[in-house]
Amino acid sequence: MKIINEQYNIGHICTHQICELGLSDKPAFHWISSHQEKTVYNFRDLDFASNRFANALQSLGFKAGEILFTFLPKTPEQFFSFLGALKLQVICGTLFSNFGDDALLDRLGDAKAKGIVTKKSFLTKIKRISHHLPSLKYIIVTDINEHQSDYILSYQALMREASDYFVTPITPADTPSVLHYTSGSTGKPKGVLHAHRSILHQSRTAAEVLNLSNADIFWCTADQGWVTGTSYGIIGPWSLGITQVHYGGGYDAKLWFDLLQNEGVTIWYSAPTALRMLMREDAKLYKEYDLSALTHIFSVGEPLNPEVINWARSTLGKDIYDTWFQTETGGIMITNRPGLEIRPGSMGTPMDGIEPAIIADNGELLDNNKQGNLCIKIGWPSMFVTYLNNESAYNSKIKNGYYYTGDTAVRDDYGYYWFKGRSDDVINTAGHLISPFEVESALLEIEEIAESGVIGAPDELLYEKIVAFVHLHKQFNWSKELEIKVRLHVSNRASSIATPQEIIIIESIPKNKSGKIMRRVLKSRYLGQDAGDLSTLED
Amino acid sequence: MDLQQKLNEIFCEVFDDDDISITRESTANDIDGWDSLSHVNLIVAIEAKFNIRFNQKELLTFKNVGDLLKCIESKI
Repeated sequence: MKIINEQYNIGHICTHQICELGLSDKPAFHWISSHQEKTVYNFRDLDFASNRFANALQSLGFKAGEILFTFLPKTPEQFFSFLGALKLQVICGTLFSNFGDDALLDRLGDAKAKGIVTKKSFLTKIKRISHHLPSLKYIIVTDINEHQSDYILSYQALMREASDYFVTPITPADTPSVLHYTSGSTGKPKGVLHAHRSILHQSRTAAEVLNLSNADIFWCTADQGWVTGTSYGIIGPWSLGITQVHYGGGYDAKLWFDLLQNEGVTIWYSAPTALRMLMREDAKLYKEYDLSALTHIFSVGEPLNPEVINWARSTLGKDIYDTWFQTETGGIMITNRPGLEIRPGSMGTPMDGIEPAIIADNGELLDNNKQGNLCIKIGWPSMFVTYLNNESAYNSKIKNGYYYTGDTAVRDDYGYYWFKGRSDDVINTAGHLISPFEVESALLEIEEIAESGVIGAPDELLYEKIVAFVHLHKQFNWSKELEIKVRLHVSNRASSIATPQEIIIIESIPKNKSGKIMRRVLKSRYLGQDAGDLSTLED
Repeated sequence: MDLQQKLNEIFCEVFDDDDISITRESTANDIDGWDSLSHVNLIVAIEAKFNIRFNQKELLTFKNVGDLLKCIESKI
């Protein structure tokens, strides 16, 4: 990928620039709908559709630096909207389609979003919160034919009226581009803002780590609500003119393997939870498939346990390369990759030009084999710009020229890094970072609940599961009906991912003398371990 | 209200969408938000509302709403 005439615009590079290289007719993606209907979109289609969307936004008065969100399941419109918004230098945020009202309101409200692209089935949620969102001027709905009002617009009608041609303004490297919200252990989710320069690293890692080259067919299973879904489901591969497979349905072992075989996928990027689900299927299933086209499998999101690597070797005859990065890093930082000996369970080694360090809480740089905070020397191209409207949170993560990732790790004598855990209470469930605070807040909205404390506990499938400790008001008793109420409330207010897998009723939630929930004590109690120093525990 | 209508109400509540209209052929691919996590909510809600219990083997055989209805019918 080359930067031509100082044009860093992600939307332009992933579409128009690829067409100018003579690849207009090359498939950009094989779209497989949830009902297995296939449509092939070439790079000209991708360029024209994103141009139309950029023109549509422009006709609505969108300007550079304003914010548009997509709130969609995986659909072609997701890609056209994302790239079209970026062409106009509108910042594009992507939201998981399973977010509930509170999760939506936190993100749309904080970002002061001007527009959202969504589906009819999600309109009820948005309408319920829209009176709290004075900045939200347009709801663009992909599956209605005509505009409903000046506020609720038809994506199809907008696209019908828009031109195929759009000249993308020259976009300097530091122009804001993509916005993903991420959870911390306290407070509301933070908007991680990236800049168009991120494409340099995303493109490079797509080539050098994922090994993507011209003839490859690449399938990244990540949802676009996740940074992997934008960095490697859109930007990295398309900046190189790679053909992708995008599938609109959910997990289904047989369907997934049909896709791998029938679409001739050569490089596959998925997540440990999905791989562990595949591992639970009958091994006979995989014998029916010819996966000779598949050269490499990569994984991201949670630590990849050695059992999965061994399963892939024995059942599929393939290695799985685990990669590590975060929303804030924008692209792969530390990784296993073809040509590097895999040490099962390790994160791999740093990319060239990426300088991680293990740092003690007092700021001391630690030697090999000592556990500490995993930090990255600042200045890599895909580094986030800031947390939107939260400069203090950004500043708290940058110390002495290093970005503190919140992960703890060890570096061995061979330069491999090994993930050890989080330095905060954030829960990693199936690759999604969930804030215990968000789940606790949703729980406290239920009238029967007096107090709640939420932890992540080890889980064989999800890496961590969400466990909620709940103290009920005296006049209420736990019942099946209340369990449903709790589950649906968390699912519909936060997200289905945030729904507790276990709910434990207790007499009181342990807090310290200043009233802070002592999740450490809850976790020890759950795991049957010694809770350690309890001197700060409230009487 | 017949069984399918009653089940439809549960779907609307679980998936937070009043416009859902299930058929016996409906699958997770037809209803936005029906993923493995919300499926647990759906099963818990069905069990409570119909006062029934599904066993592990039954849960694995549900390929569409028709399978689910057939199993509920056999238990009430």
